[in-house]
Amino acid sequence: MNIPPVEPGTVGPCPVAPDALQGIKRQQTNPARWNGAGWQDFVAALRSAGVELTEGRAACGAYVTDAGGTAYGQPHGVVIAHSAGEVAALLRTAQAHRVPVTVRGGGLTTEGEAVAYGGVLLDMTGMSRVLAIDAAALTVRVEAGIYWHSLAEELRREKLDYLSAPLNLTSSVGGTLGVGGIDVNSARLGCSADQALSLQVVTPTGEIVECSDTENAELFQRVILGYGQFGVITEATLRIRRYTPLSMHYYYYSSLATAIEDLQMLDRNDASDYSGILTIMDCAVNLLVAFDSDEREAAFRRDWEARLRGHGEFGFALCMLGHYALRPWKAGEALYLLKRKQAVFPEFRRPEYMRDGKMHDRSVVFSRAVWKHWGSRNMVIPDLATPADRFVAAVERGNAVCRKFFPHYTLYCVGIKLRPEHRPHYEMSCVPPDAEGWAYGCEFEPMIEGEVYSRDHFQAFKNAIYDIGVDLGASYYRFGGMMKGYIRRVFGDALVDRHLAMKRKADPAMILNRDVIF
Amino acid sequence: MFAAAPLDHACCSGCSLCRLVCPMWRQHRDPRFSPEGLAKARQCGATAAELTAPLEACSLCGACDPVCPEGIDLYAMVMELRRDLSPALPYRQALDALQAKFALAAAAAEAPAAGAQFLPGPALRAHPVLLARVKALLGYACAADDGADIALALETGGEISPARRRRFLDRLSGRTLAVGDGLLLRQLRQWLPGARLQSLGEALASLTTIRRRLASTDFYVIEPRAYHADYERLVAYYDRLQVETGCALNLDLQRIAIPALRQALPRLAAPLADADATQARWMLQGRRPQRIVVESLADRAAFERVCDIPVLHLAELAQD
Ligand SMILES: Cc1cc2nc3c(=O)[nH]c(=O)nc-3n(C[C@H](O)[C@H](O)[C@H](O)COP(=O)(O)OP(=O)(O)OC[C@H]3O[C@@H](n4cnc5c(N)ncnc54)[C@H](O)[C@@H]3O)c2cc1C
Ligand code: SF4
Ligand code: SF4
Repeated sequence: MNIPPVEPGTVGPCPVAPDALQGIKRQQTNPARWNGAGWQDFVAALRSAGVELTEGRAACGAYVTDAGGTAYGQPHGVVIAHSAGEVAALLRTAQAHRVPVTVRGGGLTTEGEAVAYGGVLLDMTGMSRVLAIDAAALTVRVEAGIYWHSLAEELRREKLDYLSAPLNLTSSVGGTLGVGGIDVNSARLGCSADQALSLQVVTPTGEIVECSDTENAELFQRVILGYGQFGVITEATLRIRRYTPLSMHYYYYSSLATAIEDLQMLDRNDASDYSGILTIMDCAVNLLVAFDSDEREAAFRRDWEARLRGHGEFGFALCMLGHYALRPWKAGEALYLLKRKQAVFPEFRRPEYMRDGKMHDRSVVFSRAVWKHWGSRNMVIPDLATPADRFVAAVERGNAVCRKFFPHYTLYCVGIKLRPEHRPHYEMSCVPPDAEGWAYGCEFEPMIEGEVYSRDHFQAFKNAIYDIGVDLGASYYRFGGMMKGYIRRVFGDALVDRHLAMKRKADPAMILNRDVIF
Repeated sequence: MFAAAPLDHACCSGCSLCRLVCPMWRQHRDPRFSPEGLAKARQCGATAAELTAPLEACSLCGACDPVCPEGIDLYAMVMELRRDLSPALPYRQALDALQAKFALAAAAAEAPAAGAQFLPGPALRAHPVLLARVKALLGYACAADDGADIALALETGGEISPARRRRFLDRLSGRTLAVGDGLLLRQLRQWLPGARLQSLGEALASLTTIRRRLASTDFYVIEPRAYHADYERLVAYYDRLQVETGCALNLDLQRIAIPALRQALPRLAAPLADADATQARWMLQGRRPQRIVVESLADRAAFERVCDIPVLHLAELAQD
């Protein structure tokens, strides 16, 4: 391989630039550890600025990896955020001493974005309080390190709820606004980042700035869906709503394409409040549809249900019986489906969450099921985000990759309603540049089930999925960290260089969340 | 065949679900003060001594256990670390003295009569009128040796001599027991697999005379240690209680019991402080009950500090 020489003090060409991966054995691009230059001087300056920094294994041990569990690194020290002022002092000092700062909320990234390879790990969960609830205006002001679940706990006391958030309980508001946040109501309400009305941001040079679409709009637009490149979100004002339980309906398909077409039909016609697809491989494809009110449910039953081509549980069980009776060599697969169904289904029907046929606290029900039945120490969840018309192709091709790499897996598909007025937020984000109306996302999640796979196997799988995205002109929900090599390939040099120039201007020493995007 | 070993800190994936329910994390907002922090620090080789502060701060409420998706025995992890830490505690002598005092009283206890037993624990013993009422309601004999020294040793990581343990258990095995102390109850489940065990709260709340006096305007406070020790069963039990009576429960959205107290180890015998009251205040935030009903007397003290509505022990609901 011909590696061009690099002048000392300059940044060399990106080793995973366009077509750099072709013909090269697939490897991951774990960033190098920061060398610690000037660390002691930095620590002294930080302490004299009144910021508490802890070192040692008891303090740093919690941060060695992220939810992905494939990227490992340790910070030199940890700062638990307590106030915007403290974060500002940290960033000013880090800027002066050129010390990298990695921000972490829930740490639920899967490509090492929230892992510090040396330098300071800024843990935002120290700032995790609800500051003010305005029940009349239906807004809430929170510290950005708050977990969505903790926010839900407080809102529920007032019979309120957040609009949409990732289904995992432990992602933070700040971390989510920086990457997206997709829920089963995103096809109607947009992503979590769309719910943010204004933010308090500490810029990489340590200024504390309030921003929104009308105040310091440029900063707001870069920070929303900006992967923490342009500032640390310390507070956020979010839209909220009145709490409602849900009535759930499940439809079962044996064809991915048919289920996706039906999902998109429902979304286009605003026929449901919640919609998504969850599969057991490509054998049992479950279209989930749910409603906040009896009126919406009745309208769906009247106008749309008959158009769905899926079956009820009983009808689908009969179809499956017929299918596998004719294919006895697939008995193992049938047994797996049955076992999986028996393990997972009761989770969605726990009596303590059901009242009068409605599900309460759906985010808890779904998230606990996600962690219990899909979670593991290696969360390998590559994804593709495409415009509506390329989604079936993306999912079918991704599905073929899953079949090749793993015996068992799950696909999770949801729509994201795009808001035309938020277009500036979406630039160089998980939202595909040419998506109109809705973008669709699919996560491809192998079931690890106690098996041991090498990191190379996982990485080769992820690359095979991500390559589909390049091919189809898609985007990714997770495009930071170890997969940053794809960024130029999907967005092109012109856009990436424009963002890089903005980043250099905002963060002269390039200290904030290094190696996530740039 | 070997039985599968219980999962330990090595299996922690860092999902942070345990933080959401951990009262010490709620107080400190620092991951070191959480089961996850302890597990991760152990993964990095930290010793009990290095983890002294969180180990002392843990209230052994047991809330972390049922939420861990990896099924790690977090309670056992904390207990083991506390046992390692215990000899070095600067207030160990005072704890030993208290344990010895309880042990002395237990040694003087006569062998109990046959039949169901009720193990009140020192807090209830200190309220003879209430104790008599509980006894009458349950119709169980009150055990003169209620294992108060053993409960304290479990809590503080102190030592329990095998002879003492044997003497205590021999008198209880095979019986129906209502146990006032949640930690002791959890341990008895392991030690006495043949016994029929209930927490005092469950035993009282199952009595019709009490249950029918619970109202939809009540805030019912479940004792967390006993609840989390038998979570899967009790989550269904209290769900039915809620449906039948309409009362509000101290359960969070994950149906985990929020403890009213987060008393740390060094302050075990100390009077309640403001930090303890913050937790009770948070539990009442956004709720407007007309009455608070507690299973544990310690919780009653916490609520009495922060509100002026009646706070009753469950047994006090029954009419004279
Ligand atoms: C089991 C599991 C289930 C998931 N389910 C969903 C789902 O249903 N929907 C969905 O959308 N996603 C899902 N995800 C992905 C995950 O929820 C998102 O990556 C998450 O929202 C990130 O939030 P976080 O607080 O964990 O951020 P982190 O992982 O801590 O950080 C994300 C990025 O933002 C930066 N950052 C963090 N906090 C701040 C801040 N305050 N200011 C500036 N930058 C910051 C970090 O440096 C990092 O680059 C899931 C992940 C897992 C592991
Ligand atoms: S027992 Fe309670 S206080 Fe202790 S670590 Fe678990 S949840 Fe936290
Ligand atoms: S819930 Fe279990 S796996 Fe998750 S962080 Fe806590 S100890 Fe680790």
